[in-house]
Amino acid sequence: MKLSNSMAYKSAKEMIFGTALKPVKTKRGLILGGGYVIPEIVPHPRPGSEKTIKSLLREFERANEDALERCVIVGIPAIQIENEHVFQMTDNPQWGMEIAAQTAHQLDEYYEKYGLKCSYRSTIADIRKPDQIDMRNSERTDKIFEAFKYSSKYADIISIESLGGKEIFDYSIIRNDVTGLLFGQAVLGGRDMEWLWTNIVDIAKNNNCIPGGDTSCAHANTAMFMAGGFISKDIPQTLAALSRAISVSNTLVAYECGAVGPGKDCAYENPIIKAITGIPISTEGKASACAHMDLCGNLMAAVCDLWSNEAIQYTDMFGGSSSAVFTEILGYDAAALNSAIELGFQKQFQACLINSDRYRSPHSFILCPDNAWAIGKAVVDNNESLYSRARAAALKSGELMFNDPNLQFTAFEKESLTKYIKELEALPDKEDDFIDMCLKKYSKVKGFKPSSYNL
Amino acid sequence: MKPKSETNKIFTRYDINVEVARQTARKVSEDENLQKVADCIVSGNEDELENLVKSILHIKEPMEIINGGLIAGMKEVSRLWELGVYFLPQVILSSDSMIAGIKLCEQKLGRPMEKKAKVVTHTAEGDIHDIGQVIVNALLNAAGYEVINLGADVPVDDVIEACRIHKPIIVTGTALMTTTMTAFPKIAFGLKQINLNIPFICGGGAVNEEFVTSFDLGIWGKEASQAPALAEDALNGLSWLEMRTKWNG
Repeated sequence: MKLSNSMAYKSAKEMIFGTALKPVKTKRGLILGGGYVIPEIVPHPRPGSEKTIKSLLREFERANEDALERCVIVGIPAIQIENEHVFQMTDNPQWGMEIAAQTAHQLDEYYEKYGLKCSYRSTIADIRKPDQIDMRNSERTDKIFEAFKYSSKYADIISIESLGGKEIFDYSIIRNDVTGLLFGQAVLGGRDMEWLWTNIVDIAKNNNCIPGGDTSCAHANTAMFMAGGFISKDIPQTLAALSRAISVSNTLVAYECGAVGPGKDCAYENPIIKAITGIPISTEGKASACAHMDLCGNLMAAVCDLWSNEAIQYTDMFGGSSSAVFTEILGYDAAALNSAIELGFQKQFQACLINSDRYRSPHSFILCPDNAWAIGKAVVDNNESLYSRARAAALKSGELMFNDPNLQFTAFEKESLTKYIKELEALPDKEDDFIDMCLKKYSKVKGFKPSSYNL
Repeated sequence: MKPKSETNKIFTRYDINVEVARQTARKVSEDENLQKVADCIVSGNEDELENLVKSILHIKEPMEIINGGLIAGMKEVSRLWELGVYFLPQVILSSDSMIAGIKLCEQKLGRPMEKKAKVVTHTAEGDIHDIGQVIVNALLNAAGYEVINLGADVPVDDVIEACRIHKPIIVTGTALMTTTMTAFPKIAFGLKQINLNIPFICGGGAVNEEFVTSFDLGIWGKEASQAPALAEDALNGLSWLEMRTKWNG
């Protein structure tokens, strides 16, 4: 695998919502990143519906139907539906396939009847728990690939949220240990993704399906949720920001193995990924408050190609089902963004989105297009290894945060950031030396098996 | 377009506005060595603590080190966390250090230190997101409980069997996904069937009060940080219903 050595975009100024340098065309002709923002709705089944395939099929049927119908009712011109597998859909790959087949059929009906431009992403659940199984050789691993094979027969796009390195990440994040984040995310997560995505891309090609992309949701989003808002005392925002910068190294691997986008919605690192690769990206912000809070609700739309809600549990609301309601919310968000494009005000609109959240938190600060591009540049300029580029991304983030006087920190966040940067600077330059150091340091972490990562 | 530096009409950084004064740990012992032990706990320095404990085990009784240094230091850590001065990682590092120190003392004692009580923790069947449970384990360990950690993706019957064997004062369940938390009422039902009316604290991700209080034994835990206080209530003899009334209204 060749590590990226150049930026797709010459500067952040070229980056805008709705357009990607490498747009992706889906089965029914919908182009993602082709000039307009497309809403991506993600309905999630209610607890209890997972008991049988019959009840789960019905749950997705209703949720998808409500979303598609609302598109027609309010005039949303295009939609992508994502079905994220619940555990049972990957654990029983046949279930995932039946739901994929049903969803594709629903989309076909709306496309034929109304001309609704639509596409379907099926996201397989990573049911491997790193500290419990051999990541590359277990019954669960086999089921994941089987689920990819089955679902890719019907979906436009397949994706996953891979869990490589999660055991070391979880151990480290609650110990304020940025070295462990580098090791867990970049070294282990990146190696797992390389192995995984080499196989996923082959499966997708065999079934004429688009290999979408991956995310560091298991790591950087865990950090972001733990950092929380302005009340949480779990971890400092600055550590979550560094975890996000580090995540670029592993998420990028999927694209280096042949994934073409659109990037997964929950990958908040996607603005950096887009700057490097030029692929279309899905992002989420204010409309994903139904699933979790974040401090970059508007900002995340600044360079999006699809605009998502992360996941909304199917339930009744005053305005219809949650699936219909959130489709409408996303549809109007996309309409506002697309109106700005049509009027030629896209840069002004983008400035509003960025200024809403730029200084709201360290995490949102590093995801602004200018900073995202600068972090991406540090990644490609330090591409000797997964480790070296992740470390460079973290150091660049720290430099950017410290150098902007408008970004405020709490005392603990500032102290912590100073400590992290010092720690990062003192680490070895060579990946082999870093791995040797970490294999010793984390040998006591319960369930950590270097062989899962071919180490 | 140059970013705007004045943002007070756009958002408010409440965290900076209400930031508490940076308090430091108080002195907990007149004995110089025990104070050093407590200092290592407060700073979460495990390596230094291990060396220190090894060296003073020649001149002090293990229980004196445990009570006068390790536990006294951990109480300071808990105080600083409650004040909002400490963040979770500082508590976890202190807890790691305390466990390492206690282990050394137990070796000298020749027996395990007596714990307050047993607690059983698990993450729901089909759910592999266990970071919440890891935090609960660390906090309960730090508070002096013996944690029977069943891990993640634990079948319903295994949780019931562990409770039958260990008779814990509480059992906890963590779930990120709504589609896995459905294991919780099954566990509660199984426990009741064998007459184990153990308070069953459920929390995590999409788990909510309405769901947990819809079945007997269930008490909703909003935050992992509540675990030690909930265990304390059970230790003091509160029934699951009294605990639910107190914590969930």
